[in-house]
Amino acid sequence: MPAPTDAIAGWRPIDAVAARFVGWAVDTEGSSRSSALIRIGLAMLFWSRWAGELLLYIDQSPAGLFLAVNFFMATALLFVGYHSRIAAVWAGSVGLAMYYYFGFQLGHEPWTHHHVYLLAIAALLIALTPCGRSYSLDRYLAVMRAERAGLPPPAERGNLWGLRLIVVQLSVLYFFAAFDKSSYAFLSGARIEQIFLWYYAGSDYPAGLAWIAIIVSVAVVALEYCLAFGLPFRRSRRYLILPGLAFHAIIYLTLPVYTFSATMALLYLAYFDADAVDKVIARLEGIGMARTAGEEIS
Amino acid sequence: MTDIVSIRVSAEPAGRLSAGRLRLFAFIAIAAFMIAGPVAEQVFGVRSAWLRSWTMFSAIGMGVIDASFEIRLPDGALVPLDRFEMLGASRNGRLKRIESRDELASVIKRLCTAAGQGADIRVRARQATRGGWQIIHTDAENACAD
Repeated sequence: MPAPTDAIAGWRPIDAVAARFVGWAVDTEGSSRSSALIRIGLAMLFWSRWAGELLLYIDQSPAGLFLAVNFFMATALLFVGYHSRIAAVWAGSVGLAMYYYFGFQLGHEPWTHHHVYLLAIAALLIALTPCGRSYSLDRYLAVMRAERAGLPPPAERGNLWGLRLIVVQLSVLYFFAAFDKSSYAFLSGARIEQIFLWYYAGSDYPAGLAWIAIIVSVAVVALEYCLAFGLPFRRSRRYLILPGLAFHAIIYLTLPVYTFSATMALLYLAYFDADAVDKVIARLEGIGMARTAGEEIS
Repeated sequence: MTDIVSIRVSAEPAGRLSAGRLRLFAFIAIAAFMIAGPVAEQVFGVRSAWLRSWTMFSAIGMGVIDASFEIRLPDGALVPLDRFEMLGASRNGRLKRIESRDELASVIKRLCTAAGQGADIRVRARQATRGGWQIIHTDAENACAD
């Protein structure tokens, strides 16, 4: 929802920028389909990461069973989209319980990693979107109710501030990942060499690694800064999406990042204009440009 | 900022106004929490499990040792020493990655024993630290003489 032009005309530039930011952050309504796709993707990522570890026979302690039952119920509801936003809060809370309580308090170290936190936070943030208004059981029931009442189906739209918060989270993540690496130890290539030795070469330093490590180090830091500041803006985003996805694909293939890369790639959907995503989906479905989620289906 | 919100939503019903403001305050609070974690650790050095600092892979590889070995032949020439071959160990076994000074000392001891009395083995080694590489062994002296 753009700010009223006549109101902005009399403002100082800083006020206009602030108004545009507020409008972008909390006052934008758009298609709920990209939020719904993220919701479904997150449920699948939760299963991909933990379903095998949380099968009921694995940890039969009361806490383990309680966690497993909550995990499967919350993620199943998140996947099918029944009371979607509550399910997202539930799944995110389960993720945070795994991270803080089972991970840090009980010492299950693999659950203290950044990919766990990112998944949990993403689920909580998607709860702030209209993620249940599309591709969900909630949607199906709403359409049934509308049909019974003789009304057109409700529009698949809503406030997108949750998607904006995901954008903020990704930019914060990229910026501070780059900031942490903005040191001589990393930019000299030493840290990349050490990581390479740890996972691949062992204690035998391969010939020619030094220059490659320096180039990779500088490129990684530069890319992360660019992703932090460039992805939120449409003009720079078009040049950064592919490098960003390639970056995550490479670290997925080369390092044990678990679901981190896939989660990041999924959350990239939040960067795109929700109505533009909706139009792409409509084209893919062969519906055409005209009939999208913003329009009521007669 | 509050004025801007008021202006933006002034044409809307009172209920929408408060919802918009509430949403903005919540947005700012959540965004501030997102930023607080990495700022606390990376800027102020405060480490807490409650705050995520996004320092991914910052500890991976710490302690790993980059080592090379040479052995002096009877004609006085120094030639590279293959520790796996000398010790009859698998190249993908425990000997592949030396992770500590104690482990390096143990490897040197085993190599010297395998090479026999009077062997001259030179070792160059550096260890991974957060600040980069730290040299822990030079080839200036015979490691078997220690």
